[in-house]
Amino acid sequence: MNDPRGSHLSVLLDLSPTQWHLSALPSPANAYPLSLSSFLSQLLAFLNSHLACKHENSLAIFGALPGKSVVLYSSTNPPNVSQTIDANSYPPFKLVDSTVVLRVAEEMDNLDDPEEEEPIALVGALTKALCCMLWDSHLQGHQMMPDPRILILSVSPDHATSYIPIMNSIFSAQKLKVTIDVCQVYGPETVFLQQAAHLTGGSYIHLERRDALLQYLIMSFLPPPSIRKILSVPTQDRIDFRAACFCHKTIVDVGFVCSVCLSIFCQPVPVCSTCRTKFPIKTLQRLNASRPLPSTTAVNNTRSDHRPNSIRSKCTNNTEFQPTCSIKWYR
Amino acid sequence: MPPRKDADYMDIDSESDASIPDDDYGVGKSKGKSRAKAGDRRKDKGKAKAKENQPYTWEASYARSWETVQEDEAGSLQTSVEELLARGRRRRLLAPAAAVRRTIIRHLILLLDLSMSMLDRDMRPTRFDLMLQYAREFIVEWFDQNPLGQMGVVGMRAGLGERICEMSGNPQDVLKAISERHKLEPAGEPSLQNSIEMARSSMSHLPTHSSREILIIFGSLTTCDPGNIHDTLDSCVKNRIRVSVVALAAEMKICRELCDKTGGQFGVALNEGHFKDLLFELVPPPTQRALTRAAGAGISNPAADLMMMGFPTRLPDASPPSLCVCHSEMKSEGFLCPRCQAKICEAPTDCDICGLLIVSSPHLARSYHHLFPVKPYEAVMTLENGETAAPECHACSRPFPTSTSTTAGEGLSPVGRYRCLECRNEFCSDCDVFIHDVVHCCPGCGK
Repeated sequence: MNDPRGSHLSVLLDLSPTQWHLSALPSPANAYPLSLSSFLSQLLAFLNSHLACKHENSLAIFGALPGKSVVLYSSTNPPNVSQTIDANSYPPFKLVDSTVVLRVAEEMDNLDDPEEEEPIALVGALTKALCCMLWDSHLQGHQMMPDPRILILSVSPDHATSYIPIMNSIFSAQKLKVTIDVCQVYGPETVFLQQAAHLTGGSYIHLERRDALLQYLIMSFLPPPSIRKILSVPTQDRIDFRAACFCHKTIVDVGFVCSVCLSIFCQPVPVCSTCRTKFPIKTLQRLNASRPLPSTTAVNNTRSDHRPNSIRSKCTNNTEFQPTCSIKWYR
Repeated sequence: MPPRKDADYMDIDSESDASIPDDDYGVGKSKGKSRAKAGDRRKDKGKAKAKENQPYTWEASYARSWETVQEDEAGSLQTSVEELLARGRRRRLLAPAAAVRRTIIRHLILLLDLSMSMLDRDMRPTRFDLMLQYAREFIVEWFDQNPLGQMGVVGMRAGLGERICEMSGNPQDVLKAISERHKLEPAGEPSLQNSIEMARSSMSHLPTHSSREILIIFGSLTTCDPGNIHDTLDSCVKNRIRVSVVALAAEMKICRELCDKTGGQFGVALNEGHFKDLLFELVPPPTQRALTRAAGAGISNPAADLMMMGFPTRLPDASPPSLCVCHSEMKSEGFLCPRCQAKICEAPTDCDICGLLIVSSPHLARSYHHLFPVKPYEAVMTLENGETAAPECHACSRPFPTSTSTTAGEGLSPVGRYRCLECRNEFCSDCDVFIHDVVHCCPGCGK
């Protein structure tokens, strides 16, 4: 806290039009509807309080849109706009607020209708945030800023094909000691972002009461990581590192892994379906003999329905971390 | 110092970045930069001359390295220096992009020379201290890039091989083993044969799909062996152990032979920075093609296998404490082996009870970038006037340099722009290197 440099916060906004539309619709399943505009007004209050904490605090805001990612605001490279002097507002706050609102409106207007179907470019926004941090650290004489962190405000579900790039950016954040905080504002739990928060030591919050968004933001995400040790910030407790096999997408706790491409299978297979590597027959026999659970030795079972109930029941009540990397990704 | 000449000559053959300073090498040291340039030059020359079988650097024509460094309009060397740095870093990206099969599951024995010659002060503070410091950094980086790998440490001291750390998959174990300096105090003569035999025996049980490697950091010019070291070399070749040597003094015939016959890399460190470069070149997983070529064509089994792995459940901090099987300590957090339900402190590891390889799915994912790297960006050579060029880098939103630099080299863009072939976005040189070295995914196309 005594560091004179202040802390840096990068905020990633998930601006998926479809998801925000769903989020704003009141329905029995959606008890607390939240529209994009009310989300933005709460977010701006949070951003202002981050800037207000310390004069040196810096801020960068990125938007993840369908198929592309943009920089909405960066305090190291502020936009040159002439502002009307307003006696009732603090100019730095007003600059952030007006820029973000303007840029979000611009980008949303620029979207074509067919583009809305594309998955949002979360990976692009995440890597951009990391690149900007690297550049900021260059400015400061190759020193990373203290407590750099990224806050992801997500509304979209996981996108399976982006598993590897997301994991790669998470690992690079981990390497740069960047904390990733995740707030899932709308939609189902995302296992990838859960992993992101877990691996970088951030916190993951799945928002239940969407009307209390600002309170969640300020209570859990405003304090920098060094202060969170003292505070009691919500963390994940149950983390399951089980994986989904590539062949049937079942969750396995003991899997068979190809040594060449690291594909996971739930039973010994003679040929790797991903990289076409043939495995020696001796290994198959040995593995079949030493399988943890007795089952038929045939390897052409398409379903694993014959698995004992103990495994199945264990699979269901846990959050699953699935490397659901699709096979077409390898082509 | 006589070995120095030899070392210079070595640099040509070892194909390494001769004394290219690291990123943490201060920008202000222009002396280091001009040396780097000299290294560049020498290397380019060396490549050409190597074909003509010209053996010695001092027979090559004299390179006026300082003349290539030019001042900019403001009379500053800064731009030249930055250019040299960018060139040095970018060279690493110009490696062949052809598909290679890499060994993901690695086993490495780090052989540390603990003989009296390590007390030599030609590297600051001493060779020994520098070796320990770099070994620590190497271990951290190695485990970061090879999460499924295992490493052991053997010391060469007083004519004996000394086991310092057993094969372990936990970087903390290995770091702890070499953390106590007084236990590693150099003494006597080193014995290559004894220590290689010890390393070999500790790897003889390993499965064929994993790699077996020995990395020797060797500061001595002698070895005192009980028998014929060529027998040891032959058995290394037979066991498909890859031996790499980073020598601190000079090239020794036997070291060179060890590396050549087993498919490893050999290099002589010119200075502190080069020592680190040589060491860190061994961090990324080696290609398997090189291994098979070195071991001869007689391998019927193409080092592929199916492995049984267990994916553990992580216990939260708030769970009731219980004893772990690895340290016998009361702990709340830990991982449960899925087969025998034993509680283990760290993953990845082998289960101490049932021997199952325990990994978590993020560990598998961490290796994927070696298998599917980002395609290299092409350097933009000229700015097309018809096309509206992006004013700023796609990743960091920093404006591109407006001036065109005069000294364009191989793979170096004169306008400082690098373009992704998939999404056609343009990036600055800093981001280019950062994306390929650290992030491993393109901000434009997300691949």
